[in-house]
Amino acid sequence: MNDPSSLGRLAAHLALLSSISFGGVPTVLPDIHAFVVTNGWLTDREFTDFLAVSQAIPGPNMILMMSFIGWKVAGLPGAIASACATFAPPCAMYFMAYRLWDRFRDAPWQKLVRAGLAPLTAGLVIAGGTVVAHAADVSWPAVAVTATAAGLLMFTRLNPLWVLGSAGIFGALGLL
Amino acid sequence: MASQPRVTLGALFYAFLKVSLLASGGGIVWAHRITVDQRRWLSDTEFTDIVGICQFMPGPNVVGIAVCAGAKLRGLAGAAAATAGFILIPGIVGFLLGELLFRHTDARMLQNALIGISAAAAGMMIATGLRLLRANRRWLSALPFAALAFAGIAVGHFPLLAVLLVLAPLSIAIAAFTGVRFR
Repeated sequence: MNDPSSLGRLAAHLALLSSISFGGVPTVLPDIHAFVVTNGWLTDREFTDFLAVSQAIPGPNMILMMSFIGWKVAGLPGAIASACATFAPPCAMYFMAYRLWDRFRDAPWQKLVRAGLAPLTAGLVIAGGTVVAHAADVSWPAVAVTATAAGLLMFTRLNPLWVLGSAGIFGALGLL
Repeated sequence: MASQPRVTLGALFYAFLKVSLLASGGGIVWAHRITVDQRRWLSDTEFTDIVGICQFMPGPNVVGIAVCAGAKLRGLAGAAAATAGFILIPGIVGFLLGELLFRHTDARMLQNALIGISAAAAGMMIATGLRLLRANRRWLSALPFAALAFAGIAVGHFPLLAVLLVLAPLSIAIAAFTGVRFR
């Protein structure tokens, strides 16, 4: 299906969705799923396979996911265009937002905003972890892995790679 | 910021390349470890600022950490170097690897290994959040709002933007109020 007009529509749609994906790209995944499946570009099965593989591979998962979709729709140009449509608009916004924040570095109100936002940020990161845990902790041994990993990162200076690696081996051996 | 040592663009590229490659499941864990604990480019407060700003923005938030950390250390060129480090090589390698893996997505062992890795990654993300909370000097008064934000997402399943738009003004107002009272 190497059709330039599909590529244009896909890239435009991804650019729009990435610009409104508050809370990260996964929040607009259902919309992307509906868009590519109703257009007949991907089957359900392909979509879930793309998702599983892009999660498995280290690196920017969601950008990778979109480049797999783009590749299916329009080959290599599709992959590149989809990846760019996913990261470029948010990156421009991050940069401008940070510039704005930095310009008012010494403003008294910024201390208050910081004091107000910092607890929320910590709470949201913890919530993000529990949401992932909810999907991954399929058994009590898996819950134990989550708890152990949290404890090790909190209280030791152990390199997290050891923790991730051993957890992966436990899983591969069918222990979880 | 004369006291800040000048960080090279190559160092930024490399650091975020590392964050990206290590970050299966929770990029924020590695971004914190590398930029705050190891390189000492950012303080805990600056890191929390950046994550806070990124939460308000759409898109892949960990890329936002690369953009903001790069921008803080070296301006636009720094932001570009950090973002390129995060995306370029891991994207190409991942894309090629993915092509290979599509023939093996049914492999039981791979899926099981993934479950183990995401279970551990979840724990490490929780720990990173707890460490951000602990780094807060007024952590006791921070606790209620951290708990509310946590509950809004993890228990109430409300959209992130809704949680932020309700809690941020309240939290800032209370910080302003108590700040005035204790001065």
